[in-house]
Amino acid sequence: MCVWCQRYGEGYERWYLNPANYARRLYKVRKEEPEAAGAEGNPQAAGGMASMGRAFLEARERGDLEAVERMKKQAHDIAWGIHFGQVITKEELEQIVDMIYPIGLMTCACRRSMRGLPNEENFTCIGMGPGMYKWERWPDTYRGGVHFLTPEEAKQVLDSLRRRGLVHTLFTFGTPYLAGLCNCDYPDCAAIRTAVDFDVKVLWKGHYVAQVDPSLCNGCGLCVRRCQFKALSFSASALKANIDPLQCYGCGLCRDVCKPDAISLVDRASLPVLAEVW
Amino acid sequence: MLPTIVVEDSKCPNPLACRKCLLVCPTRVLGLGTDVGPQKYREIDPEHFIVRGVREQLCTACMKCVEICPNGAIQVAVERGVPA
Repeated sequence: MCVWCQRYGEGYERWYLNPANYARRLYKVRKEEPEAAGAEGNPQAAGGMASMGRAFLEARERGDLEAVERMKKQAHDIAWGIHFGQVITKEELEQIVDMIYPIGLMTCACRRSMRGLPNEENFTCIGMGPGMYKWERWPDTYRGGVHFLTPEEAKQVLDSLRRRGLVHTLFTFGTPYLAGLCNCDYPDCAAIRTAVDFDVKVLWKGHYVAQVDPSLCNGCGLCVRRCQFKALSFSASALKANIDPLQCYGCGLCRDVCKPDAISLVDRASLPVLAEVW
Repeated sequence: MLPTIVVEDSKCPNPLACRKCLLVCPTRVLGLGTDVGPQKYREIDPEHFIVRGVREQLCTACMKCVEICPNGAIQVAVERGVPA
């Protein structure tokens, strides 16, 4: 069971399908959070978001598992309280876009930090909710400005980003207030980097897991480059797609390009072991 | 061994516009950030942008960033590993 659905679902199937978690009431709470006061100045934080510091890298290097686990726990405590994300599918995205207001298309802080991507090439992030009305107060957070979109326009933009191969993720700003709808890929997304490189769960897996039906897979390999989580490979001996269910984040991007419909998403909760693998 | 990356900020006046080192690194070891927090009503000036080593666990000390920097602002130090 997803702890966030348990705590913040309030009867909705998923915590992020509960409109209360996008509401203004929670935006007010964020003002008291240290992250809102400008802790993003450090490049390991700016764009790097919850990136782990040098001390963590050194502990890993010397094989100090106790220190690694302690620092991971610290990172989890901070991220889960303030700013963390979860992968969602395109079906869930459509329900969310109909629920959020306003919808602001903005530049991605991660790609600015990773590649210094110019603003005009970097409009891949959606800011949502009442905080977006105040974007002009923080010109640097919203470098390049904000384009406000209708739900239909937002669906078109998000559709084209997903076709490019970017994964939809939702982010909290003072959990459980949801205010970021990001479109992420490896290696540019700091959250995917931190989760996949270090198993530090600043990005949670989604509520689904992709499975391949080998009798339907025609071995075309189109799905392989869609995976941003190192979960999908191509078996050179079987000539079929191969998905690691423990590593799959359930975004569904591989499924979208599968012409013979060999890939399906199954509910994570329906698989006893995977039900607790986030 | 984990390499150490040192950037001399005085030789790196506008990394947001230059970004050569960020693009040349094969594993995105470097990160772009600022030495000030977000400022209300003001965009941060380019001279406050800084480059730092962030993901040194993936640095192979290939020295591509050192070579490409037009101002020689980056140094990468690595201790030679002892053969296992």
